[in-house]
Amino acid sequence: MLSTFIVNSPILASIFFTIITIATYQFAAACQQKWQYIWLNPMLVTISILVPFLLLVDINYQEYSHTTEVLNLLLEPAIVALGLPLYQQFKQIRFYWREMTAILILGITVVITVSFLLAMWLIKAPEIAVALSLKSVTTPIGITLTEQLSGDSSITAFAILIAGLFGALLGPQWLSFIGVNSAKAQGLAIGSASHVIGTAVLVRKSAEHGAYSSVALILSAILTALISPWLIPLIQQLFY
Amino acid sequence: MKNVLYTIFAISICLLLGKLANYLLAALPASLYGMIIYALFLQFNWFSPEKITKTNQWFIKHMGVCLVPAGMGIINHFQLIQQHGLALVFIICSSTFILLTVIGYLSEHYLITPDNSDSKTATGSS
Repeated sequence: MLSTFIVNSPILASIFFTIITIATYQFAAACQQKWQYIWLNPMLVTISILVPFLLLVDINYQEYSHTTEVLNLLLEPAIVALGLPLYQQFKQIRFYWREMTAILILGITVVITVSFLLAMWLIKAPEIAVALSLKSVTTPIGITLTEQLSGDSSITAFAILIAGLFGALLGPQWLSFIGVNSAKAQGLAIGSASHVIGTAVLVRKSAEHGAYSSVALILSAILTALISPWLIPLIQQLFY
Repeated sequence: MKNVLYTIFAISICLLLGKLANYLLAALPASLYGMIIYALFLQFNWFSPEKITKTNQWFIKHMGVCLVPAGMGIINHFQLIQQHGLALVFIICSSTFILLTVIGYLSEHYLITPDNSDSKTATGSS
């Protein structure tokens, strides 16, 4: 029934699905606000509600993504808006930008290589391997990069979510366990591995934790964007 | 309202310049160029940070909703999850662990320049 609605009145269908998506997201965000659980991530909750809904009303993904195109178009300006936290952290970056860049480049190179090789070994699908190797950046940028390198961006979105939750829940304990205790080091590690979700948790520890986490999250996104377009094809060559 | 329009204008200009930069040298996606240009314009005070902060924070707070359509693509991958779900989680968690360890360890031991007053300006957004 809804499929014919999409064909007959595409504009109304667009409005309908966009509103449904926004309303569900707002509901999920309100739930997290209320209960403050990390795993009650608004994106995760929204997807868990909308997937059964789409299956129930028999709408496929192509139809859904077509009708919610407007949300996708807002992704680019949303990334530009991240320039504000970058500007706010310039002071932090100025002091150690050489060391931080070197450490992050090393970390990113290792994580892309390890994820790609593991994925090719265990799953043997290049588009999944690309998606998984780009999971250590903030979601909007991860999606953009994956599409650029012809990976599967829905897998990236999910992998980023899992990496975020995992690092936010276990990261701080693990870092203390291996003797990494300074706010700087914890912030950089969690920010680069678990991006926004990790930062949101870490900021409760201290403002310094949060600041370094924000720096790592944005800096590692820029560095990943610079490194991945030549590193990933290089590793891909090993398999052909 | 004036500041909302001002913020939208500032972001659009930077995105446009980002598209131009991407056209000239495709090293980064247009939106990332835009983000860097935006941060620089704020730094040089070509756009007023005071005017844009409130609307910009609102954008960042709600940007997650723009990511839902991309995430919904998972609906096409039930078979993959059924077949390789454990492998997927294993790859994601082990590589995240490695990244945490590498960056945490190196930062703990090699970021030792004096660090006093600068942390007080921290805001920790997004």
